[in-house]
Amino acid sequence: MTFGTVHKATTYAMVATAMLAMVGGGGVSPIFTLIGVIGLAASWFWEAPRVNLDRWAPWWTAASVLVMAYALLMGIATGDYLGTGAEFLLWLTLAKAFTRRSMRDWQQLHLLALLMLIAGSVLNVDLLYGVAFLLFVVTATWARIVFQLRREAEENVLLRHRPGTTDASDPAPLARMLASRRVVTGRLLAGTALASLGIFVASAAFFLAMPRVGAGFFLKGRTGLSMAGFSDGVQLGGHGVIKDDKTIVMRVRMPSGYDRKTAPPIHWRGVAFDHYNAGSWSRTAASPVSTYTVDEPARGRERRLIAQPGRRDWGDDVETVIAGATRQDVWLEPMETDVLFGASMPRVYDLPVPARRGATRLERNDEVRQEHGSTIHYTVWSDLTPPDAAELRAAAGPIPLGYQAFLEIPDDITARTIALARKITADAQTPYDRAMALLTWLRGELRYTLEQADPGDLDPIDFFLFERRAGHCEYFASAFVVMARAVGLPTREVAGFLGGEWNEYDNYVAVRAGDAHAWAEVYFPGSGWVTFDATPGADADAARVDTGIRAKLRRFLDTLRFQWTRWVIDYDLRKQLSMFKGLGSSLKDAAKAVRGAFIDAKNAARDNLALSLGVGLAIAALVAWRVRRRWQRGPRGPGALPPRARGPIARAYALTRRDLAAAGIGRDAALTPRELVRQRTVQLGAEAEPLRELTELFYAVEYGGRPGDGSRADALRQQIRAALKKPAR
Amino acid sequence: MRPPRRLSFTRDGKVVVALAIAIGLAAVNTGNNLLYLLLGWILSAIIASGIFSESTLRGLRLQRRAPGVVYAGQPFLMEFTLDNGKRRRASYAVELEDLIDGDRPGGPRRSIDKRCFFLKVPAASAQTATYRHTFVRRGRHELVAVRVATRFPFGLFRKSRDVELTTEVLVYPALVPVTTPAARAETRGDAITARRGRRGEFFGLREHRRGDDRRDVHWRSSARSGRLLVREYEDELARDVTIAVDNALPAAVREAVADGRAAPDALAPGAALERAISHAASRAVAYLGRGWSVALCARGLVVPAGAGRAHEARLLRALALLETTGTDVPLPTPAPRAESVLVLPREGAAGAPGYVHVVVPR
Repeated sequence: MTFGTVHKATTYAMVATAMLAMVGGGGVSPIFTLIGVIGLAASWFWEAPRVNLDRWAPWWTAASVLVMAYALLMGIATGDYLGTGAEFLLWLTLAKAFTRRSMRDWQQLHLLALLMLIAGSVLNVDLLYGVAFLLFVVTATWARIVFQLRREAEENVLLRHRPGTTDASDPAPLARMLASRRVVTGRLLAGTALASLGIFVASAAFFLAMPRVGAGFFLKGRTGLSMAGFSDGVQLGGHGVIKDDKTIVMRVRMPSGYDRKTAPPIHWRGVAFDHYNAGSWSRTAASPVSTYTVDEPARGRERRLIAQPGRRDWGDDVETVIAGATRQDVWLEPMETDVLFGASMPRVYDLPVPARRGATRLERNDEVRQEHGSTIHYTVWSDLTPPDAAELRAAAGPIPLGYQAFLEIPDDITARTIALARKITADAQTPYDRAMALLTWLRGELRYTLEQADPGDLDPIDFFLFERRAGHCEYFASAFVVMARAVGLPTREVAGFLGGEWNEYDNYVAVRAGDAHAWAEVYFPGSGWVTFDATPGADADAARVDTGIRAKLRRFLDTLRFQWTRWVIDYDLRKQLSMFKGLGSSLKDAAKAVRGAFIDAKNAARDNLALSLGVGLAIAALVAWRVRRRWQRGPRGPGALPPRARGPIARAYALTRRDLAAAGIGRDAALTPRELVRQRTVQLGAEAEPLRELTELFYAVEYGGRPGDGSRADALRQQIRAALKKPAR
Repeated sequence: MRPPRRLSFTRDGKVVVALAIAIGLAAVNTGNNLLYLLLGWILSAIIASGIFSESTLRGLRLQRRAPGVVYAGQPFLMEFTLDNGKRRRASYAVELEDLIDGDRPGGPRRSIDKRCFFLKVPAASAQTATYRHTFVRRGRHELVAVRVATRFPFGLFRKSRDVELTTEVLVYPALVPVTTPAARAETRGDAITARRGRRGEFFGLREHRRGDDRRDVHWRSSARSGRLLVREYEDELARDVTIAVDNALPAAVREAVADGRAAPDALAPGAALERAISHAASRAVAYLGRGWSVALCARGLVVPAGAGRAHEARLLRALALLETTGTDVPLPTPAPRAESVLVLPREGAAGAPGYVHVVVPR
């Protein structure tokens, strides 16, 4: 490619990647994104000889004013200044790309690209930003280098001095330089691409090393961004088919104590409801507030131990509970709800305290909530194994104060529903047996479907139990809760996620929006709340693993995305400190290993003196050889060219030339030594013959590489010198 | 003490540093990790820029070549050869500038403000470029070093290193148009043609010079020696001229120049003297060109009579280096048998010649 084309192509590549970084997160409206992409492509062809740029310039200015007014109005109207600002930036870039003429315009394109990258850092937190950033580092290095070369070449307009004169010169035509293929070669581009990877690595090192003091969280949640869907409420009676949403809402690492192959899929508990009314579940003021004890294990973090009244372990301290529970490290994406999920039954939450607390809200029904505008990382300890059947059968005692809310039977529950519940549990002796009877009946008698049907005027639960006899998880859960309450069990409706996909590349569970699920919890005195999932086949569905190639690729990409979130978006002071600590200890280990190896080598050397001496000598010789080579090559910085010829003959010739010049017999730069002799023969007179001989000697040594007689050269030189010294007559 | 390398921000560099500070503040304020990433990138790019520019300057060898003859006030081409000794990497966007010593001894060096630009010097090859320059003053000019600079790769900084490389340029006095003296062989005008062979006593043979009459060539001797030889007559020796320059300056002026308070030609007497010297040089060249034998004298200087190219160089060199004296140094008396041209500096109104030209006939 020619110099000019490389310059254009690299700049466009840089602008395109910056644009990708900005619009990739969806913070810019699709229409503007489309205009940006198409416009940038079109502007490639919109240039001087083809288009009269001067004629169009006022139109671009007018359009820019219009767009600015639009952006201002939209910003005020929607409050999304960032998004509209980004749209305006996109427009400015387009306008510049269409009106580029001078180096100044190209320079401004560089600045606009950088601004787009900065805007993208707020608008786009996806892995795509990371990819675009990597590309940007490479393309920007290229674009900047080529731009700089072109600008300097234009500034120093290369002058060609007209031959034979000292006062006339012609500018080298710029067009010819831009058409040259020798200035920017593939080698330069490959080399700088490699170097820019080094820049990328160095940026990553800077990124990890720069101290994260100040706010650990965004001061302001990013609103208007795509959020995973999980509605903070359950509404029965919709219609249409529920779509499977593949968006990942959380990723969970479970360091130990969970065998994903044999253990049943985990119920990730989120929200819980006590009140049912006309097909929808809600929390009421009558339900008990989540109670927990709080301590502060580190600055900026707090640990909450959820206290379920009436449990046998009530009053145990946090450390004891943690010791007996299973740990999960959760990265939760921003969602429509601020509830924090944990495996059933969650006992302890360890979470970051935001720099600025939002309005305090009451958490009810053992929910834990925390506002988070970006991915939040917290740790949960849960009891994964429910109490065994014998313990639950034996459970007896009064229910805690306030738990009457979990026994309330709504008015719109039909009599036949209650009758059905009583009929199913007629033979059961204990509360646990009653719950199991209901579970078995629901799982066995009713069918699971994602197709929703309109219940019409009927209560949705009644419609589900007696008319449709099929439904999705929320119907099963709701029916279970209502029927359990009808037979005197304190029960609540719970929503969250079930299972999730195991990522074999990075050993974590990825939970998707499509894994949303609903189930029930029943209270047993002494044992607390116990999970009951009435949906048939739910566990089996959740345990199924997709082994197709696309699913594997998807999981692999998700690993990258997860790492991006963990190490870039979610990187904070805590992680930084633990990383430095890890680095320090691994350095210590390395030092220990080196010391060990050294001692071993010393012992071996003592045993094997001859060999070690040989190796030592070889190393010394290698070092000496390297030093000698370095020394021979001379100083490494810029320096004066050493006189090219250094032999005695060349020296004699050079000195003679100096004598000749002093005598007024100078040499034009264009004359070769032989031509000099030929031209000045007459003028030199008697000195011509020795000079001719000296010149030939010089030629033989300098260009022929033949050895010559140095003393003869000196004699000739003295002869010429003497002749020149003769006074002119 | 001069630092081995200098680094100065370009305008773009200042913008980028300001941007980096702004991004850094924003990153600390919001905790947005992607801003930290951008900041890391800018810092890395700055470091990479240092490594790149170092690599561009490394392994460069340069040579400066001044033309043989340089006259004051006349442009000449100074030639630089830049040799890239690196075996693999090309050097890009290298600027070379000549440095001269500053006004104060040991003070910072000054660049002569002419640059040679090399867009690309491929690995293991050399390129040559020239810059045009004019020395206003005669005398010895010493170029003491070359500043090798580059703004490669990103144009954020200008990195330069000074290479010690001394070249002495002897600048002859400016040549001005003067009336052409008569050619030596034609001095007698019609008389010679009329009275051929009767031009005085035969003196000997000498080498042919420009302006010699072809009829004087002694063909037989020329054939024998392989050189053109002409007959010389005693009469012709009389065509000698002595140019005398009065290089005395008032003590006050000389002190001002010596203290560095004024340039040699800044004050009126100095300027007049410079013009006189320039005139003397031009006359000497003109006489020599016409075959005359020219001697030069000034206070503290005598160049004996001579002719030819070598003598021209000797005279111009003497005039180039001619120093001013006080009136206590006597002006030597011209040789008795020669015509004399006395060049006296004279302060005058602007535009007037700064000298009096006195021809003293024999």
